[in-house]
Amino acid sequence: MNPSVDDRLNSVLRALETVVLPALPESASLAQEQVMLAMGQIQIIQAQRDVTPEFERGELVDISTMGNAILALGPAPETCAAQHEALKAALAKPGNEPRTAAESVRGAIDDLLVAARQSGEDAYRAQLSKTILPLAKERAGKDREWFAVMGFDIDLSAA
Amino acid sequence: MSGIHTRVDTEPQLAEMLEARKARRSKPPYIPQRDGDVTALLQSFFAKEEPESQVGDVARIGGGASKEQFVFSLAKPGGEKRRYVLRMDALEGITETSREREFEILKAFQGVVPVPEPIWLDADASHFPTPAIIMEFVEGVTKPETEGVSVTGLGTVLGDPLRGMLAPQYFANLAKIHNFDWQAAGLEHFSAPLADPKQPTRWLIQFWKELLEQDAVTKEPLLRLATQWLEDNVPDCDNPCVVHGDYRTGNYLFDEESSEVTAILDWEMSYIGDFHADLGWLLQPVFGSRIDGVFRASDIAPPEEIIARYEEASGNKVDPAKLHYFTVFNAWKSYILVSALGMQAARTAHNHQDVLLTFLAATGPMFVDELARLLMMEESQ
Repeated sequence: MNPSVDDRLNSVLRALETVVLPALPESASLAQEQVMLAMGQIQIIQAQRDVTPEFERGELVDISTMGNAILALGPAPETCAAQHEALKAALAKPGNEPRTAAESVRGAIDDLLVAARQSGEDAYRAQLSKTILPLAKERAGKDREWFAVMGFDIDLSAA
Repeated sequence: MSGIHTRVDTEPQLAEMLEARKARRSKPPYIPQRDGDVTALLQSFFAKEEPESQVGDVARIGGGASKEQFVFSLAKPGGEKRRYVLRMDALEGITETSREREFEILKAFQGVVPVPEPIWLDADASHFPTPAIIMEFVEGVTKPETEGVSVTGLGTVLGDPLRGMLAPQYFANLAKIHNFDWQAAGLEHFSAPLADPKQPTRWLIQFWKELLEQDAVTKEPLLRLATQWLEDNVPDCDNPCVVHGDYRTGNYLFDEESSEVTAILDWEMSYIGDFHADLGWLLQPVFGSRIDGVFRASDIAPPEEIIARYEEASGNKVDPAKLHYFTVFNAWKSYILVSALGMQAARTAHNHQDVLLTFLAATGPMFVDELARLLMMEESQ
């Protein structure tokens, strides 16, 4: 039977904790800190490993929802038409790899926002903002939950 | 003042720095300094600067998220032995700052608030492998010894009675920083943003925007909206002052027995600007504590009390609209630090603690969430 990923990562953690860390001199504070961070990262990766593909697909779904909501606003002003078309294209051809596909949609939305400001399309900019903000907030909430295990987020830690 | 003209509308010294950092991007991975190498560097440095003195007890200092730091002793021929701290840049890090400016601002604040005295400077890396500063070692701790390990002081709980003893000093020191007569100090490496009332904050926004443009590892639509909002709503700054740039618990030392603040640290992001920026920074949830449902900024006091006590100590009146602007700014700046600069430094292996940088990047969604909340508040008004 092949050793599982968890078997191997647990053995790495144990080596770091019981062999490497105690062998470090008391004065090696940076090395101690780095080992503890490495251990923390491995434990968090272990906890997230099985659900990571689903999480990344969810990122793509959410940014695509944002992109489609922007398209649903209707035609963009003439000055932003090229970027609007590029967004349409990015949404129409999602790649196989969710992170790359999501980044492509993000980039297209970003280009549209830049074009709208540069061309002074204030009414359209207001529509874009109203569309993006609630969806971005919803997504950020999921991302915060994902990283709550890191312990930085005092609101989620307290919840 | 520098006369160099670059495309970024920011302090000329910072604009020059922004251009210079582009050349570092293609360099090979950064190899952390070894203790033995640092000892040799210090010995050769002091052979010129302080002949016949002896370098000893070189040890790396942990903590922090930007510079390589070492403590060492220097014994002079007469027998006097003093301890110093060497701060050296990595190739890239969570911040982009100048050792020259850090040296100068620390010098300027000698006797104003407790700060380490900077003694030697190698601004252009003529001796050390990267720009470096050497300052006196100051005794003290950043958190009670009973507190466990924390990353760069995040989540530090001072608790009672320590909180009550540190709080008056916390406000008094911030007030002294903001009321410091910087124009009389003749700061050569800082530019006076006095061309128009918006220049201090316009310079600030353009500096951080350029860093975001150079280092972003993802094009987050919300960050673009926030950038545009900050550019569109730059407030007037009536009375530019020294802004510390990273004033919070975790960035000052105190004596555990007397509870006296012994040094205010991490001045590297300081600049001349609007005092509301420091308030917006220290009020951020990530730098505070929440105990029994009570949020305390810097684990010092709840936000309303922070503002009231700051006003009392400084004589400055806090403008809620400006505080709101700088609350947005600081969430945006924090995202740029952890999710752009930190992540880019880790990806290019240009720092000595990449694992810390990727760990800290996990705070990014907190800032995105906060930015969304703040911008939605704006829209509803």
